[in-house]
Amino acid sequence: MEKQMFTDRFASVFGTESFFKKQKRIALKNCGLIDPENINDYIYADGYKALGTVLTKMTPKDVVETVKASGLRGRGGAGFPTGRKWELTAQQESDEKFVVCNADEGDPGAFMDRSVVEGDPHTVIEGMAIGGYAIGSSKGVVYIRAEYPLAIKRLIKAIDDARKENFLGKNILGSNFSFDIEIRYGAGAFVCGEETALIRSIEGLRGMPKSRPPFPAAKGLFGKPTLVNNVETWANISSIIVNGVDWFSSIGIDKSKGTKVFALAGKIVNTGLAEVPMGMTLREIIYDVGGGIPNGKKFKAVQTGGPSGGCLTDKMLDTKIDYESLMQAGSIMGSGGMIVIDEDSCMVNIAKFFLQFTQDESCGKCIPCREGTKRMLEILTRITDGEGKPGDIEKLEELGNVIKKASLCGLGQSAPNPVLSTIKNFREEYEEHVYQKKCRAVVCEKLITYTINDKCIGCSACRRACPVVAIKGAPKEAHSIQQELCIKCGKCFRSCKFHAIDKTSEAKEQK
Amino acid sequence: MSSPLAVLEAKKQQAKKNLEEIGYFSDVKIYVGMATCEIAAGSNHVMEVFQNAVKEDKSLKGVYLSQKGCAGRCNLEPTVEIYQKGKDPVKYVKVTAENAKIIIEKHIKKGEVIKEWVGK
Ligand SMILES: Cc1cc2nc3c(=O)[nH]c(=O)nc-3n(C[C@H](O)[C@H](O)[C@H](O)COP(=O)(O)O)c2cc1C
Repeated sequence: MEKQMFTDRFASVFGTESFFKKQKRIALKNCGLIDPENINDYIYADGYKALGTVLTKMTPKDVVETVKASGLRGRGGAGFPTGRKWELTAQQESDEKFVVCNADEGDPGAFMDRSVVEGDPHTVIEGMAIGGYAIGSSKGVVYIRAEYPLAIKRLIKAIDDARKENFLGKNILGSNFSFDIEIRYGAGAFVCGEETALIRSIEGLRGMPKSRPPFPAAKGLFGKPTLVNNVETWANISSIIVNGVDWFSSIGIDKSKGTKVFALAGKIVNTGLAEVPMGMTLREIIYDVGGGIPNGKKFKAVQTGGPSGGCLTDKMLDTKIDYESLMQAGSIMGSGGMIVIDEDSCMVNIAKFFLQFTQDESCGKCIPCREGTKRMLEILTRITDGEGKPGDIEKLEELGNVIKKASLCGLGQSAPNPVLSTIKNFREEYEEHVYQKKCRAVVCEKLITYTINDKCIGCSACRRACPVVAIKGAPKEAHSIQQELCIKCGKCFRSCKFHAIDKTSEAKEQK
Repeated sequence: MSSPLAVLEAKKQQAKKNLEEIGYFSDVKIYVGMATCEIAAGSNHVMEVFQNAVKEDKSLKGVYLSQKGCAGRCNLEPTVEIYQKGKDPVKYVKVTAENAKIIIEKHIKKGEVIKEWVGK
């Protein structure tokens, strides 16, 4: 058992469940297996072995070379080669350097980082200490959102326990290396997950991005060289050190090594967290791991990469999950959000939903993002309200492309993605909204027509439910809806027990 | 001076001892999911049932009860794992406080696995 790779323990417990069969756990290797508040549990599961190994047998340069050779890339969104970033930060001459863990996790619906910090906080601490050793830093900061109280509580306890055991603090495990970690809280602004805004937020300034270069590796926190990595990235480090480069790079494909954790959400049977080897196809993760679409509905699209990712269609289900393939297909890996959409959803409405989020979270510093997303949202709102005009779709495309090119940070550079990708893949739905005032998924309220069919027994429930007295009919006789009065609130539809009200959205004659 | 790895090895031995003291190597172990998501699904009530049982029920003496992080099965939480020496771990899903009591009576005391509640 001693010899067993310490990442295989998970499979021995959970491997029999179909949800876990195709998974490979590296970042989440201990999540669900150990008591996160008991450091002994972690140590006994070979915790801090990587740190001990690094301090005993490796020079900082060896560590950088190992991470570089492993092929690990950042899991926070951009996918920058981690070893390269470590190397750049290590090369800087400075009296002080910082290591930062980005636990801001601002994507709506994302919770992979929370799970790691709540389920296995020492893995993150160990990774950061190794990073500190590699780049010559003695100070780490975890930037974590204040909305994660349990994660924060466990992280504080873990840091305390690690200090007591001298995994943090002065002369760690009797070596010359000293390193400690502080926690800083984020107040829930999405843009503060962007590394330059995050650094300013830690400094006590307003969280707004800066143009890069200089990159944080050269000039980061308090102007000092700073290594920023995502929680999941940090959680991969100890396994790479203990199991070796060959092991790690044997998992995954070409330019994307290792695994990625995804938060499966939306219209999927097994909602949850799944860590899968890179190179698995979208089809495998949605159907084999995720169990497919519930209630016999048809798959329509999958949105990857969080609020700034793209929507992919059923034709793209065989796309491999790796940074390049997803990009090629018109989406991104992002931080690992995966939302499955079925036939009941309107793609225009979904695009509007995501844009609403990024528009809300735009910090306002650069004009393309601040003004551009606002105008795009106006157009989208108009389209879903049935007021779309010829030329609107083209205007969305033009605006989107300009915002992508001209924005200062990743927020603006990616905010138009959901709109642009849905226009690309579901253009006919946009056209139906604009030219026929029709929403095929029957979602966009203003485009819906309610009518009473011949199943009506005249019970009057709908008439009483209608807030604008648009329904007429004597008791026990068929009722009818006066369309010119109807405000499309749907109360009648919900009140009817006889399936006598039809909710439709048909192409309308243009005036 | 001993190397960091040697220092760590000593710590590992100590950790093992510490775990021994709290009954970690017991023949029967219960793990209850206690991440934010699990708690939101009601796992704290489940935990309470197990805690009381382990404390008060004499026939459960020596049973090791622990919290754990989230394994990722959002739609099936709260989850509970029962480890019994020599047997495959049994993983219960959507556990309620009521079910927890039945799991204690049937599974832990009599060794009867309640198949309908096991995750697939
Ligand atoms: C708007 C925006 C939000 C971001 N939010 C996060 C986040 O919540 N967590 C994160 O790790 N990275 C986030 N990033 C990416 C970071 O800027 C940075 O690339 C990352 O923390 C680097 O770590 P990695 O190389 O390990 O991925 C965000 C980027 C942008 C543009």
